[in-house]
Amino acid sequence: MNKWLANKKIKILGYVLFTFFCALVLTLSVRGLPGNPDTSQLNRLTWKDNGPLELSPERGRYALTYAIAETHKFSFSPDLARFAAPDVGFLNGQYVSLFAPTVSFIILPGYLLGKAVGFAQVGSFAVIALFALFNVYLIRSISIKLGAHPLAGLIAGLVFLFATPAFAYAVTLYQHHISTFIILSGIYLLISFDSVWALIGIWMLCALSISVDYPNFFMMLPIGIGALGRTIIAKKQQYGYVVKIPVMRVLALLTMIIPLAFFLWFNNASYGSPFQLSGTVDRSVQINPNGSPVLESEQVKARLKSAGQPAVIPQKSALGAFNSRLIMQGFYIYFFSPDRGIIVYTPVMLFGFAGLFLALKQKLKYTWLLVAVIGFNILLYSMWDDPYGGWAFGSRYLIPSYGVLSIFLAYILTRLSKYNLFLLFFFAIYVYSVSVNTLGALTSNRNPPQVEAVALSKVTGHDEPYTYIRNLNILNSNESKSIVFDTYATNYMSAWNYYSYVMVLIIVVSAFLLMTLKSVTKGVKHAL
Amino acid sequence: MHFNIRTFSLQFSINNKPVEAAKKLFENHATVILFFMLSMISIASFLYFLSNHLGVAYNDARSHLDIARRVVENLKPGFAQLGSVWLPLPHLLATLTVWNDTMWHTGLAGALQSMISYVATGILIYRILQALGVTLYGRLVGVIVFALNLNIIYMQSTAMTELLLLGTMTAGVYELIQWHKEEKMTRLLMSGLWIMLSTMIRYDGWFLLFFATILIIIQTMRKHNYKTTEGVVVIFGTLAGFGIFLWFFWNLIIFKDPLYFILGPYAAGTQQQQLADAGVLATKHNLPFSLQTYIYAIFYNSGVFTTILAFIGVILFWFDKKISKELRYAATALLAPFIFNVLSLYLGQSVLFVQGLHGNSWFNVRYGLMMIPSIAVFVGYLTQRVKPVRYVILALLLFVTFFSYVNRDAVTIDDAVFGASGKNVSQVSSWLNQHVPNKPGFVLISVASHDAIIFSSGLPMSRFIHEGTGLYWNAAIAHPVHWARWIILRTGDANDQTYRLLHNNREFKNDYTLTDHYPFADIYEIKPQYVKDLHIKPSLEL
Repeated sequence: MNKWLANKKIKILGYVLFTFFCALVLTLSVRGLPGNPDTSQLNRLTWKDNGPLELSPERGRYALTYAIAETHKFSFSPDLARFAAPDVGFLNGQYVSLFAPTVSFIILPGYLLGKAVGFAQVGSFAVIALFALFNVYLIRSISIKLGAHPLAGLIAGLVFLFATPAFAYAVTLYQHHISTFIILSGIYLLISFDSVWALIGIWMLCALSISVDYPNFFMMLPIGIGALGRTIIAKKQQYGYVVKIPVMRVLALLTMIIPLAFFLWFNNASYGSPFQLSGTVDRSVQINPNGSPVLESEQVKARLKSAGQPAVIPQKSALGAFNSRLIMQGFYIYFFSPDRGIIVYTPVMLFGFAGLFLALKQKLKYTWLLVAVIGFNILLYSMWDDPYGGWAFGSRYLIPSYGVLSIFLAYILTRLSKYNLFLLFFFAIYVYSVSVNTLGALTSNRNPPQVEAVALSKVTGHDEPYTYIRNLNILNSNESKSIVFDTYATNYMSAWNYYSYVMVLIIVVSAFLLMTLKSVTKGVKHAL
Repeated sequence: MHFNIRTFSLQFSINNKPVEAAKKLFENHATVILFFMLSMISIASFLYFLSNHLGVAYNDARSHLDIARRVVENLKPGFAQLGSVWLPLPHLLATLTVWNDTMWHTGLAGALQSMISYVATGILIYRILQALGVTLYGRLVGVIVFALNLNIIYMQSTAMTELLLLGTMTAGVYELIQWHKEEKMTRLLMSGLWIMLSTMIRYDGWFLLFFATILIIIQTMRKHNYKTTEGVVVIFGTLAGFGIFLWFFWNLIIFKDPLYFILGPYAAGTQQQQLADAGVLATKHNLPFSLQTYIYAIFYNSGVFTTILAFIGVILFWFDKKISKELRYAATALLAPFIFNVLSLYLGQSVLFVQGLHGNSWFNVRYGLMMIPSIAVFVGYLTQRVKPVRYVILALLLFVTFFSYVNRDAVTIDDAVFGASGKNVSQVSSWLNQHVPNKPGFVLISVASHDAIIFSSGLPMSRFIHEGTGLYWNAAIAHPVHWARWIILRTGDANDQTYRLLHNNREFKNDYTLTDHYPFADIYEIKPQYVKDLHIKPSLEL
């Protein structure tokens, strides 16, 4: 078996088939509707709440892409702003995006290609799916670099893509897969290469990450520190340290200017100042029929005034949104809560944590780097005043951590795949996680946090589910947002059948890979 | 330093010697260096909280200062003013400086001991970690966890008793650990001395005495025989229990009942019983809820992340075979505050409200502070055990600490400012400050209910007739019109002793007018025609 797998041609064929499999599942799951909608169509429920652009984070980013492609501007027309509301800014008499801009630029080619064949929105979403696929291979590559078996690396990639909420966010338009791609690329470059080119890549990724999503700064921080260690090289000698600072490596730092310049240019063009961040712009929660904004600040002032309080709104601060007091609530939400918790949505990630402890015990190289990324990710978003991520499926903010934890998962799989009981247990949890997350991917991410669901129940008069039961209900009403299902498969099968086929496909391929891993690692003692 | 053209790089060497020398210097003079650094933090934070008027935000802080002040300046000064509500050591220490008006009103008379304790506890954490064989890095992480905790920084700037208790308890535990290591009698005696002092601060110290005694019995029995154990326990117990003996004795000679502090009208137990009767002592006889309440209090005081790290540290520590059994047993003393607080809540001897668990209020949430030195020790130890990520742990700790500073996340401040532990008495005390100094006469007031008003008024203690003024109090209660120009009480509140004793008094009803009404108290002033009959100077022989 080992010999057979070592054959280069078989290997290549294996990877082609694997890529095809992932691409197939993603294609079967990607959300969308055919057509190139204009602003009036976009404002219809079929595209918004009931369609692929169901939540404001998708709409806000898609609106910017649309504005760039169709009007060659960064500002939105009132109709486009209405589509993006309530996450749309109003500044200097213009409607502007409230999101970091790079995602909208990255999906632009997908939008244009899609538009050319009559699938503008699907083309945009497909770019995210492509990044999700890249992430699978990055997880595999990093895992191998850290000593995991290549097959274990692939399985870990599959776990990340299909057994975590990353799946639901691979088939729609969010920043998380691009952020994860940047983080994993940074890690890969740092642990694989020791060259000026690698440093250039890392610094550019660091700078770019901020314009994808501002909090990425903190998750890229450990990678940046690692890169700094490659720039100022201290080697221990008998008498002390020899410090070497290669000039080219220092100059590599300057390449950060390129993505930063783009970011500052965008800020300047959008908000009139290179240093104005989109998150600090006044929000227009609604657009009046005459095109004028309904500003959030005015609403707050009116509320304060009616309560007899001074109508003074403190200035928005980027750091003010993170409060250490919230960590307890954040930890609960991310780990245990029924509406977002890892234990409910992706318990398979617990194997990643187990792998982390194993790696710590074994003093695995670069554990510090991976732990730091996970640590900053979890702590930062635990302090965030909306740890739920608004209406969402699972804990979307932890997707980068799921990526990194998958690397540890590859490690523990390599170490323990010889134990049948472990594999059986792992597989059972994996099947559960895949079934939950396939549900999310094929239906919707519009799951309210528990607190909102309870309040909503009082308004609607009936129970509002807030866990994946909500997604089950969608499936029960024979609905799915997958474009393949909506356009073709719905004529031949029910949504439930469609879901079952997709899930079984994932499980069967994963089971095959796991069995192969077991057979190739049988009796092999890994040098870990 | 030179430039290498071939590799196009700048190259220089750092000799290890200065680095090693600096490290050695630090290790050799750690106490002095830490003393200096912690003192700087301590002084700077005291000044900061003084400048934003948070230094005496706690109602209890003002009461502690007043108790000490009454010992030296009062209508009836003397040590009897120490009373029985609180254990006496913090007040005794404050009497050394509280005679000075600035020291009294800035709160420095009480804060000074907290500040010294803060510095000492930081150094003790370093020493405990050193005793446990933790490297310099781990020791410093432990000190950082303690010293940069915003709740600790705030509480060390106030006249509260927590830091003094932490200091003495940590010193007691440190010496106990050293005794387990060295078996030197001096260590045991020092432990006894510090624990004795802690028993004179709060009842947490009494439990530590009990816990330490058990540890000593186990250790001596393991190593020696019953006779030796008996001797060691007697020596330790005599010294460590002396404070408790004094307290019983004090209650006997002052209040004629050695158990007055337990059974008296102002005893914590009596107050807790009132809460239990009102149905708000939800932790009583509910162990899971007591546990949850105290764990939440720890989370809010130390931070969830730090506490989780410490928990992992405890587990690793307990199973660390490189650490001797003796040391592992001795270090369990660090967990004594946890057991004590959970037990107190369970037995209904303590009250602690955590927002979210007990409605929307905070009360006594600062009790969670008691575990911070232990948490610091175990986090410091953890960094030793997980070397590959030790820098990451520090970075993440500093990351969270940074945001706690940015958002002023200190539950102890919230408790003092918005919770039930603080009383905004500024209106009534401002009234007193504006109207009383220029007119002769005394103010009749109950210190049990309104000590915060006395403190905030800025008036000398000798202008007040209260429960601790003996004959003045009795005379004023019997004939207020002869003694009290003003009466401060909470109308309708039977818990207010002045109201309880006066509400049927004919003179009070007929000869006083309600001058002003405030949330925490009402002000009554004698009618002008009776002013001439007032005693305006202390004239009673006490």
